[in-house]
Amino acid sequence: MNLMRRFVIVLVVATLLLASCAPSSTQAPASQQTGGTTESGQTSEKKPTITLWLDSGGDATQLQCMIDNIVGNFNKKGNSFTVEAQPLANSWDATRTAITGGGGPDIVITPGPSFAYEMAKAGQLLALDQYAQEFGWDKQFLPWALSLGKVDGKLYSIPHEIETLVLYYNKTVFEQHGWKPPKTIDEYLKLVEDIKAAGLIPNAAGNSDWKPADEHYWSIFVNHMAGPQKVYDALTGKIPWTDPDFEKAIDTMNQLFMNGDFMGSLDRYYTTKSTEFLTALGDGKAAMAPSGTWWMGTIGNYFGEKANNSNDWDWVPFPTTDGSPLFTLGIGSTYSINAATKYPKESAQFLTYYFSPEAQSISITQCGIAPAPINLTTQQLKGIDPRRARLIEELSKAAANGQYGYTTWTFWPPKSDVYIYDEIEKVWAKQVTVQDYLKGLNDLFQEELKAGNIPPIPERK
Amino acid sequence: MGTLIKKDLSSPTRPKITKQFFYRKVIPVLFVLPILLIHMTVVLGPSISSIYFSLTEWNGIGPAKFIGLANFQKITTDRQYIHAFQNNLIWLLFFLTIPIAMALIAASLIAPLKKGGLFFRAILFIPYILPSVITASIWKDLLHIDIGLGGVAARLGMPFLNIAYFGRTDTALLAAAFVDNWHWWGFLMVLFLTAMQSVPQELYDAAKIDGANRWNEFIHVTLPGIRPTLVFMLLMTGIWSFLAFDYVWITTQGGPAGASELLSILVFKNAFQRFNAGYAAAIGLTMSFFAGIIIGIFQILRKRGWEI
Repeated sequence: MNLMRRFVIVLVVATLLLASCAPSSTQAPASQQTGGTTESGQTSEKKPTITLWLDSGGDATQLQCMIDNIVGNFNKKGNSFTVEAQPLANSWDATRTAITGGGGPDIVITPGPSFAYEMAKAGQLLALDQYAQEFGWDKQFLPWALSLGKVDGKLYSIPHEIETLVLYYNKTVFEQHGWKPPKTIDEYLKLVEDIKAAGLIPNAAGNSDWKPADEHYWSIFVNHMAGPQKVYDALTGKIPWTDPDFEKAIDTMNQLFMNGDFMGSLDRYYTTKSTEFLTALGDGKAAMAPSGTWWMGTIGNYFGEKANNSNDWDWVPFPTTDGSPLFTLGIGSTYSINAATKYPKESAQFLTYYFSPEAQSISITQCGIAPAPINLTTQQLKGIDPRRARLIEELSKAAANGQYGYTTWTFWPPKSDVYIYDEIEKVWAKQVTVQDYLKGLNDLFQEELKAGNIPPIPERK
Repeated sequence: MGTLIKKDLSSPTRPKITKQFFYRKVIPVLFVLPILLIHMTVVLGPSISSIYFSLTEWNGIGPAKFIGLANFQKITTDRQYIHAFQNNLIWLLFFLTIPIAMALIAASLIAPLKKGGLFFRAILFIPYILPSVITASIWKDLLHIDIGLGGVAARLGMPFLNIAYFGRTDTALLAAAFVDNWHWWGFLMVLFLTAMQSVPQELYDAAKIDGANRWNEFIHVTLPGIRPTLVFMLLMTGIWSFLAFDYVWITTQGGPAGASELLSILVFKNAFQRFNAGYAAAIGLTMSFFAGIIIGIFQILRKRGWEI
């Protein structure tokens, strides 16, 4: 008897240990039923909660602003459900793993259309067409934007954080030397020599904290030199990546990198962090910085009183061969609905608010986050830096007129995209020729094209 | 047709669960059971599944397609894999020599100290307990061109030392290995020191009577005395060298131009950047295979009578 009692005790302890190891909830996805307790002690009616996982790796202030002022505002509107935004480190890895296991958040955020495309093909995302129609998303977004989220004609993801690549420059240094922002590639190349002759670094740049930064410059030179039509033709399989115009563009970029026109030398470029190259631009050690518009919200910190210098900055579209303005489009993230959600309509209602001019206006004016590609009025952009307002205005106009190019991280399939920035360094190290590099890219791209892995490419106008 | 044998369960010959049997057999199993289940869930399960996924074409998101040994065939012609494997061999050679030598020298110098031994032991051990992200980030700045130690050296008249160690194809791998070693060798030193302190003093006294100097003592008394620890750490260093990831990822991410790419970096890039999770699983399995070879060599040597 004594033995049996001990046996039972041990069994109970073992069971409790095992129970403590089990996940707290097996419900999938992470939707919850939250209820409250009334003053009388009775449980109130359960209110559904839908979840979204946000990456905590970026600017913490921007993230908190978004949670408080966009998600928080939505929850205050007295909806029949609440939204819970959970900051997570490496949220994309967590999302991908959880969704593959049948769970994950109700609202799925991916790092770009090519990632959403893969998930949609695997049946992990909900088709959004009925909600797009019901909530009028097609009227709200810029015409090209929603096409990026389509797979086999159905809408699966909504683009957020519209990005482009521009040429920042130190306005004060330019004025002191009598330089003018370049419009053509020839003017740019001539200016690079003039800046070097003045003892300054022509282009502030570095990839120490973000190795894929190489593809920013690749996107710039290929689109702005070979032209967006050629890039479109190659992306749609009409011409190969070994085309002489691409070779010329890559050659020009290589010469600049190997001559030390980016940050002084290649080894310095490889070991310079983004804060360091922006400081070099702000202090006037460098004159220009071809980079993304994601710096628009913070670049001001490197100029003027905040940075203990008396310099000012401005931007222009990166030059093109013929001098016409061109904006190479990119998408920073996409939003979708988990195919396994219990609350598809509620999730769509939240997305409708999240992508509304009201929420996107808060996003850009209060949180400094790049907006989604939607129509925003001047009034809704009130209070932001005029240079940033000008960018939004010019970008919308250019996109409507077809003056847009294609960034690698948005429109290239994943293997080709990684190849672009991994292998280009081997060209700079003279381990691979430009011809072999482009042939390798073309071979890989054709494989991915054949496998149907190319994200939707907005057509030319 | 087999013969149905009906057992009489009430038979007095039925084995009885004795108290001794319960304590010796059942209780230990029950205590081990939770960790065994956890281990099976988080180690054995994924290990077996990675064998399966290595035989598939899988993007890490959707369903996997069985392709047999195609991933392993691809490995044999993959230039990146061969280059990363060569880098792993350099890494292995580095860690089997430099930190082991440093730790042995430091331990043999600290071992005879009557006072201050604990201080040196603590100081040299501290880097080991610092998180890799902190150590690597600090050294990234310390080895930065102009603003790091190279800049200081240049100001002291040694400009040839002012280079971007993590930005050059000829120095990036060794610079990352240097940073990893900075945190690692203190740990080895403490292990060797502990082993040295268990070598009987009489052996040193006898060696001195025989006319041995410090070097002779080290070769003929210290090294044989700590051989089990030394060999075990050589074995573990060999295995860990194939798993090295964090210091390289934080300092160079395998660059520039793949100069510091290790197999583990290749696994990460394939699994999480190129949507090539099946191929990544195959590379991961080859890493386990190489670790298995090292263990196998040690087992063979042990069976042949080597005292290791």
